[in-house]
Amino acid sequence: MTRAGAGAHAARHSTAAHRTASVVAALLGSLCLLFLVAPIGRLVAGGGKSGVGELFTDAELRRSLWLTAVTATLAMTAGALGGTPLAYVLARRRFRGKAVVAAVLDLPLLIPHPVAGIALLLILGRESAVGRMLLHAGIRVAGSPIGIICAMMFVSAPLYISAAREAFARVDPRYESVARTLGDPAWRAFRRVTLPLSARGLIAAAVVMWARAVSEFGAIVILTYNPKVASVLSYDRFTSFGLTEALPVAAILSILALIPLVALRALRPDRGAGMDA
Amino acid sequence: MRFVASTALAIVASCGGPRPEGQGAGARNIVVYTAASVAIPLRAALDTFAAHEQVTVQQENGGSLDIARKLTELHQIPDVVVLADYDVFPKLLMPEQTTWYADFARNRMVLAFTDKSKFASEVDSANWPKILERPGVQLGRANPDLDPNGYRTLLTLQLAERYYEQPGLYDRLMKLSPARNVRPKEADLVGLLQAGEFDYIWSYESLAQATKLRYITLPAAIDLGTSADSAVYAKATVKVAGKTPNDTLTISGQPIVYALSIPKAAPHPAAAERFVAFLLSPDGRRLMHAHNLDALGAPIIIGNGEPAAVRAAASAQ
Repeated sequence: MTRAGAGAHAARHSTAAHRTASVVAALLGSLCLLFLVAPIGRLVAGGGKSGVGELFTDAELRRSLWLTAVTATLAMTAGALGGTPLAYVLARRRFRGKAVVAAVLDLPLLIPHPVAGIALLLILGRESAVGRMLLHAGIRVAGSPIGIICAMMFVSAPLYISAAREAFARVDPRYESVARTLGDPAWRAFRRVTLPLSARGLIAAAVVMWARAVSEFGAIVILTYNPKVASVLSYDRFTSFGLTEALPVAAILSILALIPLVALRALRPDRGAGMDA
Repeated sequence: MRFVASTALAIVASCGGPRPEGQGAGARNIVVYTAASVAIPLRAALDTFAAHEQVTVQQENGGSLDIARKLTELHQIPDVVVLADYDVFPKLLMPEQTTWYADFARNRMVLAFTDKSKFASEVDSANWPKILERPGVQLGRANPDLDPNGYRTLLTLQLAERYYEQPGLYDRLMKLSPARNVRPKEADLVGLLQAGEFDYIWSYESLAQATKLRYITLPAAIDLGTSADSAVYAKATVKVAGKTPNDTLTISGQPIVYALSIPKAAPHPAAAERFVAFLLSPDGRRLMHAHNLDALGAPIIIGNGEPAAVRAAASAQ
């Protein structure tokens, strides 16, 4: 065999390997997609039609979807306001105990959610110092939408912080340094350079947080059973009336949640696009 | 990588297929769905049974209606079903899931509280309506549409209004536990009481004892715990959610009686029979008493088709 022949053979071999790898990857990817989409597809197929119908006839369902949307959005906003500086510090600064802080921030993700609800109650309930102060100011946590927002924030803010931290880490600190040497104060450098460059990642982080907040059940039902968010309503309907009544609630929630998810994902600030690659 | 792969394989293998020993003495595993309010005494009975028979038992606790829905809607069939209201059997589970049930224990409504509760040092069986009406008292209750304890609370309050001859007492006490003080089932209330969110909760005597709460007992004419008072209880009625959101179901007062059954499609019927026979036997009854559950001296079987071993155990003295 000539050297050229051997080369061609190797090339053919690598093309075949490449093709096999592509097929395997495509297969695994499709299986994963199917696994994630099929249950929701089944849910929407089973309950979507009556869910849309109930949207017009069922005032409790409308109230609960509205409450879910508002509380999840407020939880996301609060999470972004507090989580962004935290994520920035974790991405940019070096300090002692940083690894511990980062790990502690992940803890709410692994606490069983009813336990999270009780933990929040111990801190914010009427027996606690904070809870007493809030009550004095006329703010009740348990049994109110505030409790829903607290539960949502607790279980979903860690997702935002960790994704936002990654988004900041992807922005080269040199851009900030350049802005600083050109005379921008730190805050303006952050606002004019880092924030636009990481915007896409931050929006993705917020979307994940919002979606996680919408789906929360365990911690919410401890803190605030009434008024009912969609997850609690669907549990209630299931327990009281069975699957036929629970499916539409879950289906309509999936359908409606798709709108903000698609809209936010479609937001692609141009300057961030290059940095993501 | 190899470790990950072998772990994944082990997990897949351990989940795979029905186990070979389904029946008879070979059964190694039984699944019992228990009403949350009897979870603790049933745990004790199951542990004793498991040690004796060398089987593993898996106990899943929930609200009685939750449990019934698991069978009827999700087709998850356990080996034994234990419910806090015998009425759920004829209403939801018979004849499709089972043809019989055995009444085996009773319970009574109590007002539970802790040392931290407001006016804990003053409250007693006579003055509780007045104590509850004092300002700032938070009273928790279970959802009447989801949980027997929830509608039993309403029945008890109605009966209290008659018993104490205080017109309007029911409405006043209901205002003290508005929607925000409601949780899905009575077992959910315990954590909130202990965390100080509620001062008092409506509960069962067995649950209050098992969770070491303080409680006051109520007069027999209102606590739904005495068979002799059945006629009095029946005068109270409440409407709860029916089969659809637009339906309602009227429930009238009855003594609180726990019941159990073995579903027709139980995966390990032989082991389930042995467990139920043990629970209903004099030994089982003693064990339940030791764990604060008021087991009936003579369990009562309703329906037909119950296993002979269960019938024999229920009639043994």
